[in-house]
Amino acid sequence: MTELISKYLPLKRSEKYNRRKRALATSIIGALILLALVISGFFIGTDGLVVNFEAANNAPSLQHPFGTDWLGRDMFVRTVKGLTLSFWVGLLAAFISALIALLLSLLLVLNKTLDSLVTGLIDLFLALPHIVTLILISFMLGGGLKGVVIALALTHWPRLARLLRAEIMQIKNTEYITVSRNMGKSWYWIARHHILPHLIPQLIIGFILTFPHAILHEASITFLGFGLSSDKPAIGVILSEAMGYLSSGMWWLALFPGLMLLLMVAVFDSLGRNLRKVFDPFKGQKG
Amino acid sequence: MRKLIPPFCFLLTVLLISCVNQDKNKGDRKEGQKDQLILAIGGEPDNGFDPTTGWGQYASPLFQSTLLKYDQDFNIVNDAAVDYKVSEDGLKWTVQLRDDIKFSDGEPLTANDVVFTFKTAKNSASIVDLTNLSEVEAIDSYTVVFTLNSRNSTFIHHLTSLGLVPEHAYDNSYNENPVGSGPYILVQWDRGQQLILKDNPYYYGKKPYFKKLIFLFLSQDAAFAAAKAGQVDMVSVTPSLAEEKVEGMKLLSLKSVDNRGVVLPFVPNEGKTVNGRAIGNNVTSDIAIRKAMNIGVDREALVNGILKGYGTPAYSIADHLPWWNPESEIKNGGDLEKAKEILEDSGWQENKNGIREKNGVKAEFTLLYPSNDRTRQSLSIAFADMIRPLGIKVTVKGKNWKGIEKELHSSAVLFGLGSHDPLELYNAYSSKVKGQGYNNSNYYANEVVDAYFEKALSATSQEQANTYWKKAQWDGKTGFSNKGDAPWVWLVNIDHLFLVRENLIIGPQKLQPHEHDWPITDFIENWHWEVNKKRSKEQ
Repeated sequence: MTELISKYLPLKRSEKYNRRKRALATSIIGALILLALVISGFFIGTDGLVVNFEAANNAPSLQHPFGTDWLGRDMFVRTVKGLTLSFWVGLLAAFISALIALLLSLLLVLNKTLDSLVTGLIDLFLALPHIVTLILISFMLGGGLKGVVIALALTHWPRLARLLRAEIMQIKNTEYITVSRNMGKSWYWIARHHILPHLIPQLIIGFILTFPHAILHEASITFLGFGLSSDKPAIGVILSEAMGYLSSGMWWLALFPGLMLLLMVAVFDSLGRNLRKVFDPFKGQKG
Repeated sequence: MRKLIPPFCFLLTVLLISCVNQDKNKGDRKEGQKDQLILAIGGEPDNGFDPTTGWGQYASPLFQSTLLKYDQDFNIVNDAAVDYKVSEDGLKWTVQLRDDIKFSDGEPLTANDVVFTFKTAKNSASIVDLTNLSEVEAIDSYTVVFTLNSRNSTFIHHLTSLGLVPEHAYDNSYNENPVGSGPYILVQWDRGQQLILKDNPYYYGKKPYFKKLIFLFLSQDAAFAAAKAGQVDMVSVTPSLAEEKVEGMKLLSLKSVDNRGVVLPFVPNEGKTVNGRAIGNNVTSDIAIRKAMNIGVDREALVNGILKGYGTPAYSIADHLPWWNPESEIKNGGDLEKAKEILEDSGWQENKNGIREKNGVKAEFTLLYPSNDRTRQSLSIAFADMIRPLGIKVTVKGKNWKGIEKELHSSAVLFGLGSHDPLELYNAYSSKVKGQGYNNSNYYANEVVDAYFEKALSATSQEQANTYWKKAQWDGKTGFSNKGDAPWVWLVNIDHLFLVRENLIIGPQKLQPHEHDWPITDFIENWHWEVNKKRSKEQ
């Protein structure tokens, strides 16, 4: 009897708070936080960005929760605006790189030679340090928003492409594909109707997990001076500006924007991981 | 958790060790009177130390000596020369040299070296512009005659700024191993790290007190940290760091003509281009806009807000230099009402978005600044904000110089100038040089101003030249200053700030020029320790 209870009790508890439900709840909270961050960026006024020498270099207070910079601009407003910009840059870059990854991995279905070409390309990109390729591409395109987005998009697809490729390999060897092939369907038709639907969960999760990477990399190349120009309200710009004021003790210039960036990236990361648990329970639990 | 302990211990050890190190450095500071100085004042020249390609144009060349030089009050005094004469027609300049000068390798300096220096500089494609020099020849061992193409009173600037190089020791690597007749010789130069100098035993002038100078090339932060640790004797700082107290150091603030201003395209955009770059801007070509901005901007607030008070309002390109016209000073700046009145009177009406319009043209333009320059960025943002209440919308954009060059003639740019050579006025405002490199990039043109420039250049004396330079700024009717055509909005002159050892005396300095080379070292032979104070402190 006791044996029976001890066997079922944990199960009962896990029925209430099972992994799936927990993952779902965390995802929803994460999504809400992100939404709040991005939407507040739209609605927050630009009044705080006006130069005001009287309020310059103020430490955090109730009026300015994140303090003010050396021109008296409110750091909270700047941070939120920066996060919004980061979000859009990340969104665009992650979307394009997911698209590139999908298209390139689907080439596997069509042609062996093309596939080995893609594999080579993936290896090439993975062999180079991310930041170097990023700086190179962004610099070549003259920096700015365009340069950063293209550079991010061109450097973040290989990981996802490799993942998708492995998935396709597996699907391609299943029986129903062989049957479908024997029934005279073209590879193009099979890719659309049998393979793509299987890839969707992987793709969405990959897309979301590319986000934090893209955002962090955007901030770092902007910080290094190869990304967005210094008139943009980007987090990387704020952080690199703050460097010049750290030695004069203005810690709030770097701390809060940095923390907020970290928060945003962490939320994205947990969102991606939890969604994987929801969409793809078998693989998601391993990671 | 246990895994974390070894790295933690390691970190702790590292921290402890670094603390110990710092204490050692602090001990260094209290050493006795040393005759060496460590300076972290930035400014490593990319092209090395060859005067014929531009080294020393803004300051004393240190390794070399010049024929003439300015004293603290901008009077011309002799350096390597003992006398100079200008012929009646102003075309022949005869310079008599000292006969006791030796280069740092012991060889004597003769007229041939001077001839060689000027010929080399003339043929080099660099910022040293000697196109007006037609011929230079040595009459005897110590007499040189310069022949000019046309009379030019500013030619004397070349005699005060061009360091003399030895003909016998000049080759392709001269910029890295300069041999000269200046107060110091180069011992070692590690690019990007440090430059070590020692005194020149053959120097003919006043021997400097400090036998050894070490220039460290550090980033702003590293330099400041080094100052805090007591590792350097002089460090250049930004206004935001100037308020910081560093033990054993005092703040040295030098007034300058190192100015910052906004250059405004002077002509309307009529679709013309040069090298693919558009010329002109339909908003800033209106004199009412330019005048209103000149009156509306509160320069005092910029000085106090951005420069923390370490600067002065700038009204012209050459504030407080001998050729400056004091009438160009703007009294009660920041007068928005008066500025609005000017705009109203000329027909710029505010629309519902609060932006003025005239004949369908909206009062909007772009202001570009070099994105790696914090001060220019701050000035640009603050300027745009100050001008906004007038109904003029300025969009601020940071770019690198290459990007700025593409829009140089069609957008406003935040520039910095400031030279000890009045020729800079000509280069900035003469219609003859418009669009040449960074010269007169806004295509300013005024016949009256051009005529004054001609007269100033062909003047026979400095005083006469200066009166014409002043008239070109404002002669009562027109001129290139803000009273006349106002093609620029000058904003601030930036004080050059240094933290120096409390007991280091560097004596009076002249008004500092634009920040290149090391203008602070101009009178380095006068630097010394303050003896009494130091002793009383130690007791």
